[in-house]
Amino acid sequence: MNTTKIMTIGEIVGSLESGMTIGIGGWGSRRKPMALVRAIYRSSLKDLTIVSLGGADVGLLCAAGKVRRVVAPFVTLDSVPLEPHFRVARQSGAVEFAEYDEGMFMFGLLAAAHRLPFLPTRAGLGSDVPRVNPDLRTVRSPYDDGEELLAVPALTLDAALIHMDRADTRGNGQYLGPDPYMDDLFAKAAGRCYVSCERLVGPGELDGPPQTLLVSRMHTAGVVETPNGGHFTDCAPDRARDEAFQRHYATSAADPEAWAAFAERFLSGDEAAYQEAVRRWREEQEERAR
Amino acid sequence: MAEIRSLRDAVADLIHDGDTVAMEGFTHLIPFAAAHEIIRQGITDLTLVRMTPDVIYDQLIGMGVARRLVFSWGGNPGVGSLHRFRDAVENGWPRPLELDEHSHAGMANRYVAGASRLPFAVLRGYRGSDLPKRSSTIATVTCPFTGEELAAVAAVNPDVTVIHAQRADRAGNVQLWGLVGVQKEAALAADRVLVTVEEIVDELEPMPDAVVLPGWTVSAVAHVPNGAHPSYAAGYSVRDNDFYQAWDPISRDREAFLAWMREHVLEAS
Repeated sequence: MNTTKIMTIGEIVGSLESGMTIGIGGWGSRRKPMALVRAIYRSSLKDLTIVSLGGADVGLLCAAGKVRRVVAPFVTLDSVPLEPHFRVARQSGAVEFAEYDEGMFMFGLLAAAHRLPFLPTRAGLGSDVPRVNPDLRTVRSPYDDGEELLAVPALTLDAALIHMDRADTRGNGQYLGPDPYMDDLFAKAAGRCYVSCERLVGPGELDGPPQTLLVSRMHTAGVVETPNGGHFTDCAPDRARDEAFQRHYATSAADPEAWAAFAERFLSGDEAAYQEAVRRWREEQEERAR
Repeated sequence: MAEIRSLRDAVADLIHDGDTVAMEGFTHLIPFAAAHEIIRQGITDLTLVRMTPDVIYDQLIGMGVARRLVFSWGGNPGVGSLHRFRDAVENGWPRPLELDEHSHAGMANRYVAGASRLPFAVLRGYRGSDLPKRSSTIATVTCPFTGEELAAVAAVNPDVTVIHAQRADRAGNVQLWGLVGVQKEAALAADRVLVTVEEIVDELEPMPDAVVLPGWTVSAVAHVPNGAHPSYAAGYSVRDNDFYQAWDPISRDREAFLAWMREHVLEAS
C-alpha cells in the first residue's frame, strides 16, 4: 500500500482554488509556511480569505492582490509592530478585515475542529471587538442563569498550510520549538491540511518527546520538504528569525519603488531562486560590513 | 497551596453531608480508598457524579451514602450489572436514588464547561434519545449563525472532586499519566479537590503526556499507596480483574454485601 503523502510545492498550490478560505499556521513572524505562501504569491489564485495569526504571510498575499478578506487577531512581524503591506491594504480599503482577539480566534478554530457551527465564550465580552466585527453574535444560556455569552462562528477552512520543524512521509508533523501556536487546530479545522517542513524523515524516524508530535497524519493531505521554507520568520530551534532580511523586507514594503525592486530580485522566480537570491543578498551585506 | 494530610482528616474537612462529589478516573486511577473513608465516616446525602459509575459507586450506593447519581453508563466493566445500584433504583434499597443520566460526551462536556466556568457546553448529541425528557440538565440552544439546534448541557461544578494520582510533590503539585479520563476537568470544575497518591516525592520528574495539576488547584493530598485498588495505577500496580469478577456474587445479595463491607471497609482502615 502506498502511504506516502509527499507532494511538491507546485502540486499543493495547484490544488487550491480562487475564492477559498485558507488558514495559515504559525504566529506573527514565527514558523510561517513561507515557501508555500511565496508559491501562492506567484500563482494565479485570487479572492482568497486568509485566516491567520498574521505576519508576512498575510502581508505578502495582500501585496500580490490575492486577498479579499483577512480574518485575524493581529498582523505583525513581532520586531516590526504592524505588517507594512497589511497597513497599506487596510488604509486603502483593498481588503475586508474580520477582527478577533486571540481567545475568540482559538474558539472559532476549535468550533471548526469539532465540526460545530459556533462555540460560546466570555472572551471579548465588554470589549469593542464585537462592535468592529459584525460576524460575532451572542447566545443566551438556556438555563436559569440566563447569561449572555459571545458566540464565535466556526472558522472552517477549505485548506490549511502549516510549517513544521520535522514531518514524516506519511504526514505526521512535529514541532521542536517553544510553542505549537495553533497549528494543530488549523490542521483539524481544515478540509485539507498541507504540511511543509524543514526536514522530511521516514515513518518512525521522528525523534523527540511524544508531546512534540503535534499533527497526526489523519489530518494531513500532503507534505513537502522546504528547507529554510519558513524564511524570514523564526523557526526554532533550527533557524532564528532573519531580522536583517525582515528589516529589508519591511523597509522595501513601505515604498512602492523599493518594493518593486525587492519583488523583482526575490519573488520573481521559484523557491530555489528565492533561497539563492537571499544567499547572495546576505553575502553583499557581509561584504558591505567589511 | 495543597496541604499534605492524612486521608481521614482530609475527608472529614473537605466532604460534608449533602455535598455534590465527583470521583473520577476512567478504569485506571479510581479513588477507592477515599470512597471507603467516606463510608467509614458516615457521610451521607451526597450527590455522586461520575462517568462510568462502577464498583466504587456500587459500594457507596449500597451503603446509603448517595441521594442522587449524576452519571453516564453504569456497570461492572466486563462483568455485568451493578447489583447495589440496580437494587437502589428498582427497590429503593437501602434508600431511593434519584438519577440524572447523560452520554459520555455529554458528561465530558459538562465538566469542561464547569472547568471553564461557563454555564453550559454545546455539542451534537442526545438526538433521537429519550434522555433529554428525563433530565433537567439537557437543553438545546440555537446556533445564532446557522439556526441549527444543538444540545446544551449544564455545567457541572462539584463541591468536591476526588481523584487518585501516581505522584505529588511536597508543595501538593500532582502528576498523573497513562490512561487518563476527565480528572483535570473534574478537578478544575470543583470548589475543593482531594487527591490520593501512590507516592510523595521531592521533585516531579517530567513524563510524556503527564497531566500536572498545580498545587493551587488542589485542596489536599493524602499519601495512600494502592489507593486505587481494585483498579490500578500505571507504573505502580495492575488491575485486579479477579476482584471485579468476585464482586458480582457479593453484590447480588444484600447480606453478603453488608458483611463484605463490614469486614473490608468499616472495620478496616
